[in-house]
Amino acid sequence: MTYRADVLIIGAGASGGVAARHLAEHGFDVVCLEQGDWPDRSAFPGARPDWELAIRKDWAMSPNVRSRPEDYPVVHDDSDIEPLMYNAVGGSMIIYAGTWPRMLPSDFRVRTMDGVADDWPIAYSDLVPYYNAIDQQIGVSGLAGDPAYPPHDDYPLPPLPLGAAGRRVAEGHNRLGWHWWPEPNAILSAPYDGRRPCVQRGVCTSGCAEGAKASTDLTHWPKATAAGARLITGARVSRITMDPRGLATGAVWLDRSGVEHHQEADVVILAANAIGTARLLLLSADDRHCPDGLANSSGLVGRRLMMHPFSVVTGWWDDQVEGWQGHFGASITSYQFYETDPDRGFVRGAKWALSPVGGPLNHILPMRAGNEVWGPDHHELMGRTFGRGASWAIFGEDLPEESNRVDLDPERTDSHGIPAPRVSYRISDHSRRLMAFQEARAEESLRASRCRETAVASMIPYSGWHLMGTARMGNDSASSVVNTRQQAHDVPNLYIADASVFVTSSGVNPTCTITALALRTADLLVQHRSEQKVPA
Amino acid sequence: MTTPTSPAPTADIDIHRLTALADVMLPAAHGMPAVSDVKAVESYLPQVLGWRKDLHQPLVRAVDALDPSLFTIDRLSALHEEDEDAYVALTTAVAACYYLSPVVRELIGYPGQAAKTYDPFAYTEWVAEGLLDPVVDRGPIWREVPG
Ligand SMILES: Cc1cc2nc3c(=O)[nH]c(=O)nc-3n(C[C@H](O)[C@H](O)[C@H](O)COP(=O)(O)OP(=O)(O)OC[C@H]3O[C@@H](n4cnc5c(N)ncnc54)[C@H](O)[C@@H]3O)c2cc1C
Ligand code: SF4
Repeated sequence: MTYRADVLIIGAGASGGVAARHLAEHGFDVVCLEQGDWPDRSAFPGARPDWELAIRKDWAMSPNVRSRPEDYPVVHDDSDIEPLMYNAVGGSMIIYAGTWPRMLPSDFRVRTMDGVADDWPIAYSDLVPYYNAIDQQIGVSGLAGDPAYPPHDDYPLPPLPLGAAGRRVAEGHNRLGWHWWPEPNAILSAPYDGRRPCVQRGVCTSGCAEGAKASTDLTHWPKATAAGARLITGARVSRITMDPRGLATGAVWLDRSGVEHHQEADVVILAANAIGTARLLLLSADDRHCPDGLANSSGLVGRRLMMHPFSVVTGWWDDQVEGWQGHFGASITSYQFYETDPDRGFVRGAKWALSPVGGPLNHILPMRAGNEVWGPDHHELMGRTFGRGASWAIFGEDLPEESNRVDLDPERTDSHGIPAPRVSYRISDHSRRLMAFQEARAEESLRASRCRETAVASMIPYSGWHLMGTARMGNDSASSVVNTRQQAHDVPNLYIADASVFVTSSGVNPTCTITALALRTADLLVQHRSEQKVPA
Repeated sequence: MTTPTSPAPTADIDIHRLTALADVMLPAAHGMPAVSDVKAVESYLPQVLGWRKDLHQPLVRAVDALDPSLFTIDRLSALHEEDEDAYVALTTAVAACYYLSPVVRELIGYPGQAAKTYDPFAYTEWVAEGLLDPVVDRGPIWREVPG
């Protein structure tokens, strides 16, 4: 007899890990299929001499550059931004920076407040209990009382060090009368839950060997499997299967040697990120029931992809601040230009996060921004800037547009021959105005912080780390893919736990909200368990 | 996956020719040594190509394509146009060798990505000192929303 699970989760990253732990701890029989492996922390390159070489190839943020067997190519010839991700237990959290802000109340009401895009069908207040719970599960370091936010529970751990650069920019903002606050990070400032604290090595985006940076392989999967969840790695899902009543019955998956399997389940949860999930829904099209893709009667699957236009504004001081060192989340943040001011010629805004600038190779062969300089001037430039800088990383709110989308590439495939996703994405004129304004203000910030010189790298392409919006949430099945419980309108036992469901992008890093939503979805599944429709 | 690997054989690369090119890219200037002064290519190229095998063939092409006796910095942008992989291999290999040199690291003050300890409660000092007071005193800046 085939084994049927209560819940099948596809993807063991941020959202998959959170949902699996909650469901398993509440008595559900959970199976998760993950195309990647458990990360081997001893193989992380951060403390090795080849670190800066590794992050340009085997440890690149781009799956296309890494090209490991578990990666799938993302075709992005027609995109202003290159999508970035990591495929393993823990998902993209293995290489994320760990910045952990919540969304703001106005982020859920952009139509009402600013007349653009759409309101979310849920509010900030719906997420507060889940934000509070997830902060405890993850082990967030931060300081309560930020006046950019409504008052909320304190973080479990004290904030990470400001560092010399953070301190100088904080003082600069005080001179300007501008907002700043220590950034909340999903990085331990002190021992917590059996994990060790951050050692400020500054290599977070190529994996944290210390285990101080939260990722669900550390924070959720051990607890999920202890509660009985079964995690199958090296398992690449090729499509979701359906019964004649329009219910999902499970998924077909391929093991590392290409052998096909079928996993049956009462409920299927997609947690493959906003590109992987859209890809799977489109791959699951069937001529009789859903020729345009599963759960796609609205035609919105894959559409409204948002990736946050991203600029870096760097400032350099006359003296050393060890600019290569420190956690690569952020030391301080600023929401001074986050909320709408109509006089600026655009609505919505951006969040700023102050980050280190990397080692010598990143300085002279910049992956994110900047020019290479060779000849005698090279040494002059290094002497003037190396170790003396910090960067404002600026995330602009990305308003959804149906033309920004994921579909299936007609030619390229992954290592199993499954069609690759293709991303078509343009940065809008609105975003360009928004970012130009923010960049100019960030230069003012750094000058007020006594930087000698500043430089702007505007809307850099290698920055698609925030993937959102390809299966939006809504009350109306004609204009959304999932309802407020993240249940597909068309398929009542299919749920989406990842950022595909985002209605708008906000201007903050998304993973705190992704995981709060995943926890809420799992919690509502537990609460509504008795009324859940399942296949015969 | 990249792990610390044994050095790669470099017999097919003319080390003298590459060093001559590298000396144009990173000459002695502004108190810094040239690539050849710290023997960066001969000391570190096998290790660099052991770590990054993908750079090997494009580097061979770059060294073949550039004549050291005619080489100037301007020629680099032409190489970028003609063969981007060769350009990336050359610039990456030269820079990686140079900045692996302990002499160079000492001169730029870079000890590598080091582990540091700190007091997680030191923040109470700058809070007590009033660093955040102006921010708090200005009051909330988030917008109330209906519903
Ligand atoms: C370099 C970088 C820096 C970032 N920094 C930050 C930050 O500072 N703060 C922040 O909030 N966010 C950050 N992010 C984003 C953050 O990592 C993601 O928002 C988050 O991990 C998304 O969670 P997820 O569950 O949707 O997907 P993921 O964590 O990406 O997990 C999806 C999982 O699904 C698996 N999968 C996909 N398709 C299949 C399939 N067909 N079969 C089986 N398995 C499949 C994948 O292998 C993967 O493990 C960053 C991302 C990157 C790449
Ligand atoms: S700086 Fe901290 S969080 Fe980042 S990799 Fe190092 S120990 Fe981990």
